Amino acid sequence: MENLFAITGKGYVIVAADTTSARSIVKMKVDEDKIKVLSPHLLMAYSGEPGDTIQFSEYVERNIRLFQIRNTYPLGPSAAASWIRRSLAESLRSRKPYAVNLLLGGYDTNKHEPHLFWVDYLGTMTEVPFAAHGYGSYFVLSLLDRYHNPEASLEEGLATLKRCIAEVTKRVVVSPGQYKVKVVDKDGAREIEI
Amino acid sequence: MSIMEYNGGSVIAMVGKDCVAIASDLRLGNQALGISSNFQKIFPVTDRIYVGLPGLATDVTTLRERFRYRVNMYTIKEEREIEPETFAHLVSSTLYEHRFGPYFIEPVMAGLSKTPSGGLKPFIAATDLIGCLNFAKDFVVAGTASSKLYGVAEGLWEPGLEPEDLFETISQTILNAVDRDAYSGWGCIVHVITKDKVVSRTLKGRMD
Amino acid sequence: MNTFADRFSTTGALAELRKAQKAADEEEFSDAMWGSEAGFGSLAKGVPTFSVPNIPDPTAFLRLHTDDHADPTCKIKISHGTTTLAFRFQGGVIVAVDSRATAGSYVASGTVKKVIEINPYLLGTMAGGAADCQYWETYLGMHCRLHELRNRERISVSAASKYLSNLVYSYKGMGLSMGTMICGWDKTGPAVFYVDSDGTRLKGDLFSVGSGSTFAYGVLDQGYRWDLTDEEAQELGRRSIYAAGHRDAFSGNTCNLYHVKEDGWKFIGNYDISKMHYDGPGNVLGATGGGYGYELRVEGLSSANPPVAAQA
Repeated sequence: MENLFAITGKGYVIVAADTTSARSIVKMKVDEDKIKVLSPHLLMAYSGEPGDTIQFSEYVERNIRLFQIRNTYPLGPSAAASWIRRSLAESLRSRKPYAVNLLLGGYDTNKHEPHLFWVDYLGTMTEVPFAAHGYGSYFVLSLLDRYHNPEASLEEGLATLKRCIAEVTKRVVVSPGQYKVKVVDKDGAREIEI
Repeated sequence: MSIMEYNGGSVIAMVGKDCVAIASDLRLGNQALGISSNFQKIFPVTDRIYVGLPGLATDVTTLRERFRYRVNMYTIKEEREIEPETFAHLVSSTLYEHRFGPYFIEPVMAGLSKTPSGGLKPFIAATDLIGCLNFAKDFVVAGTASSKLYGVAEGLWEPGLEPEDLFETISQTILNAVDRDAYSGWGCIVHVITKDKVVSRTLKGRMD
Repeated sequence: MNTFADRFSTTGALAELRKAQKAADEEEFSDAMWGSEAGFGSLAKGVPTFSVPNIPDPTAFLRLHTDDHADPTCKIKISHGTTTLAFRFQGGVIVAVDSRATAGSYVASGTVKKVIEINPYLLGTMAGGAADCQYWETYLGMHCRLHELRNRERISVSAASKYLSNLVYSYKGMGLSMGTMICGWDKTGPAVFYVDSDGTRLKGDLFSVGSGSTFAYGVLDQGYRWDLTDEEAQELGRRSIYAAGHRDAFSGNTCNLYHVKEDGWKFIGNYDISKMHYDGPGNVLGATGGGYGYELRVEGLSSANPPVAAQA
């Protein structure tokens, strides 16, 4: 099963996604990147129906880029999240809805604060200090209630993320082996090795 | 599993003496899993009208945006604020437009409407998910705890409550009702609308 | 047509069941389910049997009327949501459970006792069918006592859990629903066994059962060590049940905490989960002070990171 995690900390958001792409019982690929960098300060992790995930994330990626080209400035995290949510909500009542769950992590360069949005395939959206999708969420949310610190340094944040990954690896029957981790802060988005 | 119970959440509105109150819980869930304890379901429409939108959370956001758009268009065209009765019909027709593929929301409205003599009259209403209006004189409820809300409200509400007493009544009603509902809770918010102000208070509810 | 044939045939599974039913009606007790009377020397009649719905397929009948996932209006509602946990450590066994019972979305009770005190040295936890757990664990207590009388020594936790496991296994497929942990202290020291109605029986250090178990594991796994002190262990049990009560809609209300040591179990306390959220468990051993709630824990902290110049 696919797992997405995200944690905010002092001036950053860490977004992590497993890297397995499975079809039936077969792992087709073990180094798939499920986190898109939508704009210099915005990350989107996605999971869900194969095909839909790629199509929808690329649609979002292109439209966010188009906005930036047209207006010369990028959408802020909450504006981008609202637009993405609406796209999903409109898709929900179409003939073939996208079945894609998202975590949107961004850094507001004007207010100097990180934002994290939990969005599901129905278009439900809420801003949270930490979030998860997939079976992992049933283990990780209580863990983060206990260990999450909004003022944690990046090192501390990554240590908490490692706790989450360790817990899921320990308890979930079919848990993915590897995770890709990206972080967004005032300096923009980048990938981190854990 | 019913769509109406997918995210959980409940709203209640009550009439008092020259005032109205509307209250909701703050939970957003994914069935049994609690996601957020700060998910607002009640939104201001004008200074004197509030609308509560319990039901499927994606439609809470969508309908909130839709109502805001429609009310803004009304205000621009009419060059005046919308009245609660008019807003209730706007809500009803917005929902009925989607008769065969509805929004999974049962709106609850509370407000003070202008009388011809220039006074203000309490107004509450609720609709079902396809827009059947229900104008009540005492209280209206909706959401996953609606059956429990009916029970408590039936026991606590009385006519002619002053704003402070109405606040107490609606607070006790929602707090006790959501404690008997697995899908509602995680804190509550109450708005009391009087002729010169709206008092909003977040209640410390059970967090389990 | 098949139903018709089934009803009147004299061979096949259903006919066997009918015969068993008839035998049960005539004889008050039957030991058919055990195959022999082994282990029940003093109870010559074996274990009591239960009346079965007199229809072609009783299993399907029960499933039809008890499965509230498929049909919330089903006639027989079995309480589902629960969080229970038990773990073994240097100082004995900690057993902690919530106290909520739900029927559909209705919170039917907030004061359920989900720890069953089998005898002064044995505890059983309750998840799944409340009646099933209550009945069979009380019944287990009876047999533990008989074992003591026969053998002049207390039954081991392993043997007690095996009794229960064999017992529920004999009803497999008939709708029994239980997931339980049998906890105690015997010659071998502290012991925890997980037993469920599928017939699974597992020996282990740490288990959690019920709809909120995943949330409990999330906190429990991260805080668990064999060399926990008594106070730390009790606090971990409480904290884990709080975590589950908070996140899981079908768990909550209060936490009951037990500690099993060499001289038997001791009830530590009953803690309101909402009180733990806002104020913590109160002045008890192991408590670190303050509420467990996330919002309370992080109050005043902010993720905003304004540049130093902007702050001034």
